[in-house]
Amino acid sequence: MTEVADTPQQTDDPRETGKQLRPGLWQTVNERYPGSMIRKSTFVPQAELANRLNECRVTFISSSGVHLKSDRPLDVCHPFGDFRFRRVPSSAKHDGLIIHQLKYPHDDADLDVNVIFPIERLQELAAEGTIGELTPNFFSFIGYNMDPERFEATVAHDIAKAVAEEERADVALLAPA
Amino acid sequence: MGLIQRAVEARGIPTVSVTVARDATEVLKLPRAVFVPWPMGHHFGVPFHRDIQRRVLFEMLDVLTTESEPGTIRDLNIRWGDVRRAAKTLTAQGRRL
Repeated sequence: MTEVADTPQQTDDPRETGKQLRPGLWQTVNERYPGSMIRKSTFVPQAELANRLNECRVTFISSSGVHLKSDRPLDVCHPFGDFRFRRVPSSAKHDGLIIHQLKYPHDDADLDVNVIFPIERLQELAAEGTIGELTPNFFSFIGYNMDPERFEATVAHDIAKAVAEEERADVALLAPA
Repeated sequence: MGLIQRAVEARGIPTVSVTVARDATEVLKLPRAVFVPWPMGHHFGVPFHRDIQRRVLFEMLDVLTTESEPGTIRDLNIRWGDVRRAAKTLTAQGRRL
């Protein structure tokens, strides 16, 4: 594993230059699914860390479609997307989880869910004391919803409310898929 | 995903995301992010490579504690070619969790 050197690269291959592998992704998706991509012109107010990390309760939110094998999967075939989410116990392990989502390659994540949903790495960070603790539940949904306004009013609102009021998280880490 | 990050941050909870699409992250005006030049579905690297998975998380935590400017996107300058080569070595060794 080497850091990208400061010297000019001999190749334009993005795998070797450290550039975005699929440039213009926003534009590409917006052309394929008109209206599904969004822009914002302002930032929301920047929150501040109230505690040191080793005193913080950390949650994790993912659009990967990871869920407990015992839970029903979300609807990956609906033309507008599924505007619900699943809670994933933060104590879960790779063997108890499964991925239901068609919009990204998850063959590697099927081998090791931590590739997209690093639940076991977060458990380690909590056990080592790098972070204070994990919220009892993490959150998972499936991306590629075709109605951003409805998404903001449902999934985004509901998860943010649960993160603040039920899980009482101090910090949220998020990963799309 | 960005809409959720904004909704959580707006409730006073600091957030940081990881992204493989810097362009999409920029237009969403997100509070903080770490960019990895890797493919979709591999935001934390490759299977069984615990070090690289942790590296992304540490970078996210570091951004949380050190960056105060809205819209900060930190580049994690590790090439995908190097990650894949490391993954092949792990696979050849039969490594599993």
